[in-house]
Amino acid sequence: MAKELLKGNVAFAEAAVRNGLQAYFGYPITPQSEALEHLSKRMLELDRVFLQAESEVAAINMVYGAACTGVRVMTSTSGPGFSLMTEGLSYIAGSEVPVVVVNMMRGGPGLGNIQPAQADYALMVHTVGHGDFHAIVLAPANIQELIDMVGLAFDLAEKYRTVVYIAGDGSLGQMMESAELPPMKPLPTERPAWATIGAKDREPNAITSLFLGAEPLEAWNLHLQKKLAQIKENEVRWQEYQTEDADLLMVAYGTVGRICTSVMREARKQGLRVGLLRPQTLWPFPAARLNELAGQVRGILVSEMSAGQMLADVERAVAGKCPVAFHGRLGGVFPMVDELLAELKKLDQEVSK
Amino acid sequence: MSRKASEYRSHVKPIWCPGCGDYAVLNALTRAFASLELRNENIMVASGIGCSSRFPAFLKTYGIHGVHGRPLPLATGIKLGNPSLTVVAVGGDGDGFSIGGGHIPHAARRNIDLPYIVMDNNIYGMTKGQPSPTSPRGLQRKASPYGSQERPLNPILMTLAYGTTFVARAFSGQPKQMADIFRQALLHPGFAFVQVLSPCITFHNTYDHYREICRPLPEGHNAQDLQAAMTAALETETQYLGIFYRDDQQLPYSRRLQLLRDRAPKLTLETVLDRFRR
Repeated sequence: MAKELLKGNVAFAEAAVRNGLQAYFGYPITPQSEALEHLSKRMLELDRVFLQAESEVAAINMVYGAACTGVRVMTSTSGPGFSLMTEGLSYIAGSEVPVVVVNMMRGGPGLGNIQPAQADYALMVHTVGHGDFHAIVLAPANIQELIDMVGLAFDLAEKYRTVVYIAGDGSLGQMMESAELPPMKPLPTERPAWATIGAKDREPNAITSLFLGAEPLEAWNLHLQKKLAQIKENEVRWQEYQTEDADLLMVAYGTVGRICTSVMREARKQGLRVGLLRPQTLWPFPAARLNELAGQVRGILVSEMSAGQMLADVERAVAGKCPVAFHGRLGGVFPMVDELLAELKKLDQEVSK
Repeated sequence: MSRKASEYRSHVKPIWCPGCGDYAVLNALTRAFASLELRNENIMVASGIGCSSRFPAFLKTYGIHGVHGRPLPLATGIKLGNPSLTVVAVGGDGDGFSIGGGHIPHAARRNIDLPYIVMDNNIYGMTKGQPSPTSPRGLQRKASPYGSQERPLNPILMTLAYGTTFVARAFSGQPKQMADIFRQALLHPGFAFVQVLSPCITFHNTYDHYREICRPLPEGHNAQDLQAAMTAALETETQYLGIFYRDDQQLPYSRRLQLLRDRAPKLTLETVLDRFRR
């Protein structure tokens, strides 16, 4: 495969096709609609399923239904549509079927705007809707990583029979850069044993999230929590930049994480020993490693395109070992390199006192 | 007429494409407001999401730009919260018939006293041209490169079947008639549904098509006759314009709510104490 100039939304859609996506259901919403448009063509060319649903509520329930039949299925949306999907996602999580959802976050709350944002963090990371559950949340920082995370998302969704989110933002969906798509994978010839494939020579399966008794539902919840504990144990992913000698640390994910690599380079030129930790999984969060680094550095600067949602997870991981500062921009505004640099210098002075 | 249509327009310039059918709807609705000499502060317009749902911003009345597909529940809440307001719900075909389609039968069942104007351009305009619930079968667009396969909804027949007490169709190419229909819808004491054929000049230009197939309802059409209305609605080769059906005799929801209140035993100190005296 060779590098091509790809738009983020088209890139993740095509990556899904090549990773064996068998069914896609979606509803138009900016800044994500190009994925729907790309798949309307590609899925039919390849004799697979594409359907433009009548709403995000319908789309996620179609996804739920398709997942129960054991096919690789995905939907994609942005903030307002994601809010609508949370009801179905809770059912999907509760009935343990594998589903991948891409959310190209935009400015909120409410209708907000169609600019890039990271303000759905709490909604995506701390719950899947009502009830006790976490989705695995992958946070790509560039289009190549977005492509690579699509395959990972399907693998994790199926390995753990769980919900996997890809948390992008409007800029990642809309921008173009050169990246390499994976080769076309053959579709699986068999469906998983738990799927609705007939009960010949075995007991029938029930796919449900309904347990009327308190004790049976508690037992089911403990089963789900055990799975989440395994995911927490095995699937934490992050990237570190120049942390070996760092005495100041930045923590940022996605597009802001990418911006922070420039901040770090500039800061080092100016004599500050800055490192960066960029979580690639927002849940499970790289808390243990962050706690270690908090013992090494003098202070931490967190930046997000939100009012400070990941900040709470960072503070919990740091557990008071060092000061944590925050710089966020809201409503679709990017934090720029110079303003983050100024924040780093401010932090440097404060911790030197 | 002592009020002018322009008195209901805000300083916000519509951001619709030049030639969009929604301009005619804006003009017709403000003309209807003026003809009824409504006071600006007594009007509230509620919308959903989409090009046409920008509507409230262009009016010098109260307005709210709500959630995608939800102008009817939103308007219902407004009307019940302040029944003295003239409340108008507006939106497009994607907003109203797709994501919001589940709300129409219930607004009709309740006969909530407000007009609902759907600017139907048969396409998702704001997200740049995906097929909508009223797109013709076979429409080829970016999200339907091999042609859409769903049959278009028939909004007139659908709302008649839901028991809507006022059902009409207008066309942006005939703004005078549209203003008169809006005026009648505003006067109707109950839920009034108006489908406006309002072409999207950019992604689905149907002006010529509708000019060709739009006709007034057959001469002598009796708007009290539900079967005649349904027969006219079944005709899709010709798109009839006008008031298909109206029944002004059904009580609107705000009146029914008052009757319920009158029927409910009143809570006074005496009636509460009575419960403990027994």
